[in-house]
Amino acid sequence: MDNLNKISVVNINKKYNGQIILEDISFDIKSGEFISILGSSGCGKTTLLKILIGIEKSDTGSILKDGEEITNKKPSERGMGLVFQNYALFPNMNVWNNVAYALKAQRLPKEEIKQRVDDVLAIVGLSEFALKKPGKMSGGQQQRVAIARTLALNPDIILFDEPMAALDADIRMSLRKEIKELQKKLNKTMIYVTHDQEEAFSMSDRIIVMNDNHIVQYDTPNNIYKHPQNDFVKKFVVNHLDEKAKAILDSTK
Amino acid sequence: MKNVLKKTKPSLYLQIGLFIILFIFLILPLIVMLFKVNGNDFGFVFKDNNFYKAIGNSLIYTSIGTIISVVLATIAAYFLSRIQVKGKKWLVILLTLPMLIPTISIGLGVRTLFGVGGFLDQMFGLKFDGLGFFDLIIGSVVFSFPVAFLLIYDAFLYEDRSVYDAANTLGIKRLRTFFGITIPYLKTTLISAFFASFTLIFADYGLPMEVAGKVKTLPMYLYEQVLSSFKYGRGAVISLVLLLPAIVAFVFDVLNKDTSDGTAKKENIAPSKAFNITGLVINIFMAVVLFIPSLAFIVISFVKRFPSDMTFTFENYVNAFSPYSTVSIVDFLINSLVISLFAGIFGTIVAYTAAYTSVRTSGKMAKPLHLISIATLAVPGLVLGIGYVFLFADTTGWFAGTITILIVVNIIHYFSSPYLMAKNAFDKINKNYETVADTLGISHVSLFFKVMVPNTIGTLVQMFSYLFINSMITISAVSFLCTYTTQPLAVSITTYEAQAIWEMESVISSLILLINFGAKIGFDYLSKWLEKLNKGKVETKMELTRNQFSFLTYLDDHNKKPLNQRQIADGITLSLGTTNKILNEFIENDVIIVHKNKTIEITEKGYKLLEPYKVRKAIVIAAGFGSRMAPVTLDTPKPLVKVNGVRIIDTLLDALYAKDITNITIIVGYKKEQFKQLLEKYPTIKFIENPIYNESNNISSMYAAKDIIDRCYICEADLVISNPSVITKYQYSSNYLGAHVSETDDWCFFKKGNYIDRVAVGGEDCWHMIGISYWNEKDSMKLREDIVKVFNSRGGKEKYWDNVPLTICKKDFKIEVRECKKKYVTEIDNFSELIIIDPSYKDYKSKTEF
Ligand SMILES: Nc1ncnc2c1ncn2[C@@H]1O[C@H](COP(=O)(O)OP(=O)(O)O)[C@@H](O)[C@H]1O
Ligand SMILES: [Mg+2]
Repeated sequence: MDNLNKISVVNINKKYNGQIILEDISFDIKSGEFISILGSSGCGKTTLLKILIGIEKSDTGSILKDGEEITNKKPSERGMGLVFQNYALFPNMNVWNNVAYALKAQRLPKEEIKQRVDDVLAIVGLSEFALKKPGKMSGGQQQRVAIARTLALNPDIILFDEPMAALDADIRMSLRKEIKELQKKLNKTMIYVTHDQEEAFSMSDRIIVMNDNHIVQYDTPNNIYKHPQNDFVKKFVVNHLDEKAKAILDSTK
Repeated sequence: MKNVLKKTKPSLYLQIGLFIILFIFLILPLIVMLFKVNGNDFGFVFKDNNFYKAIGNSLIYTSIGTIISVVLATIAAYFLSRIQVKGKKWLVILLTLPMLIPTISIGLGVRTLFGVGGFLDQMFGLKFDGLGFFDLIIGSVVFSFPVAFLLIYDAFLYEDRSVYDAANTLGIKRLRTFFGITIPYLKTTLISAFFASFTLIFADYGLPMEVAGKVKTLPMYLYEQVLSSFKYGRGAVISLVLLLPAIVAFVFDVLNKDTSDGTAKKENIAPSKAFNITGLVINIFMAVVLFIPSLAFIVISFVKRFPSDMTFTFENYVNAFSPYSTVSIVDFLINSLVISLFAGIFGTIVAYTAAYTSVRTSGKMAKPLHLISIATLAVPGLVLGIGYVFLFADTTGWFAGTITILIVVNIIHYFSSPYLMAKNAFDKINKNYETVADTLGISHVSLFFKVMVPNTIGTLVQMFSYLFINSMITISAVSFLCTYTTQPLAVSITTYEAQAIWEMESVISSLILLINFGAKIGFDYLSKWLEKLNKGKVETKMELTRNQFSFLTYLDDHNKKPLNQRQIADGITLSLGTTNKILNEFIENDVIIVHKNKTIEITEKGYKLLEPYKVRKAIVIAAGFGSRMAPVTLDTPKPLVKVNGVRIIDTLLDALYAKDITNITIIVGYKKEQFKQLLEKYPTIKFIENPIYNESNNISSMYAAKDIIDRCYICEADLVISNPSVITKYQYSSNYLGAHVSETDDWCFFKKGNYIDRVAVGGEDCWHMIGISYWNEKDSMKLREDIVKVFNSRGGKEKYWDNVPLTICKKDFKIEVRECKKKYVTEIDNFSELIIIDPSYKDYKSKTEF
């Protein structure tokens, strides 16, 4: 069972108004992997995530999860969660209700809702903020609420769309660590979209490097660093890494 | 193929449904009206001399009234948007008070002021006849002023005032800037205001009914043809003419969409006292003048018989409210309240839903729905009324002749404003909610009720308020459609007008004013309260101006000390006027609290406002060797050299700690192990090593630290700081510390405006550069990039890092000079200077052998 791919993306193509946004995108992800999709802004990362979770439809291609075709399933039936860049929390609800809302919509029993919400709030370390409204919290805290909201539905794959972009550099560092620890603790498959090389290289098991609507390299950080596939990867990904990251990569075999 | 997964279908059906409703009740009546017009009607109207006379009359008084109204509104709005007084909100309410009463009531007021035996006659013996052009113009100015005023006032609030600051510094006079800057900026708004006033006056017939006398206006001509002669076909022909200006106005507004960014801009120059008083007097004067007609009918409602017997009495009210008196208005009042209530409720629901589907769903009918929604603006009430008469002629009993048709016509007549209110509110709500809901498996219906409605609740109340108030005052749309039993209060004024019972007209007018005034204040309050309730306390994303910033940080520095405005003004070198203005703004917005003992406390909200400007950390460059300080530096890195018993770097670290800036990173290189001793006194400091300090310039230190540059001070470690106040807890913008000097041979800045233009080594009348700089968020990020870029470029490692933002990548930055006295920070340049300051070094011998 373990060799089965958690996700297989086969030959995705997408155009908006005749303009190519994604071209022949195919890749596999194994269960429990942390994958980054790295690419500059506008190269189609968000569109790819939307297609994965089902809020957009691709023109061609298919998506398989655990070997089963999910291309035509509704977003909420795919067992995936998406964390947005701008949090998109509901300002009129306190933290607890923000997390509980989707569970209530599924008409789960009260006790189960309470159990699950309390659990995920504890996981992201926001138990004592349960009754606060999001408008009064810092960006980092709001993003953790958004993560908790996604976790509450217990998806086995979590997608992140540049979750740190709106955050302070300091908070970015700590949240990066938290997400990584979360992944290890919960053993979820995570797909993490970013345009930040350091983020991708420090967090990922493998990185999908995108440029101009297609995948240019898909490999471990170490391999990408040591054997960049082409000039683009070399120039714009590897050379831009900071010294610390390079030092770490140099020291691994 | 687009997006089959998104639920486009339900929203499309909803849009089509709403479009059909609006089509039936707005467009269809007009179409039917067009088809009902026959050649005879055309022939009659266009051959009738009275028709042309009416058009002429209408054009004359409408044009004059409109021009006066727009000019006065511009003056009032100009002053009100600029003066700094408390209670502006109330002035706005007073200036817009005429919007709360029917135009016929304003006519009543004007007539009883100017008419024979009117107030002016009684008090001053001034005899006008109270009828004719003069009174039409006065009355139309009164009721069109508020509309023009609100449009122009709004534009003034969103105007970018920095141009005036510039003009002010160039010594350009106010009057000049008014015609040179203000009027051109306002052009579109003024034209809009002109059209709005024009159509309002042109299509109104409440006012002419009271005061026109022999001057027949177009709406009166229409009214006569329809209600006296029952020639509806002729009415339709005249309607077409009435429709023209409204259509022109509508097209203009659609073509000139509002492009302001919707944030109120603040002026930096405080107005002079004289300006403030002039402005206040003008505005109060206008508010009073606008109120006089209302005052007239309020007074008359309490007299026995106007004008012959002016004794005070409550009798009119008693009669009005006794159900069995001949002048009972109870039924009309009930009619009005029922109509307004239901028009409010259903109008709000329909407008809200229409706005929701046109803004937030992907239905393909969004555009047409939007257009038809705002098109309601272009159809005058009279025209709509006639259209309804034609279209619904066959529904007598179950629709025509009932209260329902009155409710419907009011909803349609006043639809566009509440629709636009809702649309604006939905535009501001996070665009991702629907997508979030899809991924979480929450239905859009649930999202609508649990998220959209709670987050726009204040707007919902405002929409209801608008529909309610206008349904209370309208005559034009309902007058052809109501029967005696369904007659609303405002229309009943016309009945009493026919009988010249002015006391009763006055009672009704006063009553409408009272109800609408209560509704306006009450709903405003309710809307604010609900909004607060829902969001927790509303997070104001107020950005501080530089003056506000200086003010607030000054208070922070003088926490718990009694202060008066004069001290603050001197402390932050601003005029007393500006200081007072900021003080009042802050008190009004709960940014500060002034206690009885004159101490001023910054509230939690105040500190939140300061938060973005808080210095997060300090980066201290201490990697270099300090060759000119040999021989001391052979043993000890320069920052750790003691001067009169104190390590040089301690003066900086103490100043940082004093301001709670404890996130300090020191970039070390030369004799790096020695810096560990600092941890004893400053346990929070961190170190980053610059491994190539001895083979490159100081840019390598910044390169080593590049990832942590973020809202921080960047300091050289070898400065002796004698005045710790050069380190502040908050910073408004990126800057270098500098001291003005008449001559120097050291590094110095030349400024252009507020910003550093270039750096040089040596110069006259310039700013001596002190190695303490601050970098705000935006500049921090750019600095990171630019440092990397330059460092990696050829010869980049030989650069001074300061040259990156100040010279090499100058175009990326705007950096100010933060002024301080030269003596506050000194740099000991070489060993002989050290001996002068601290003679104990005279006999210093290095322990290190060469
Ligand atoms: N709904 C849309 N309609 C048309 N073009 C779109 C749409 N969404 C995205 N695009 C375009 O597709 C390209 C990729 O967008 P996106 O996936 O958001 O990129 P990224 O997330 O990598 O920045 C951009 O050029 C963008 O303008
Ligand atoms: Mg994106």
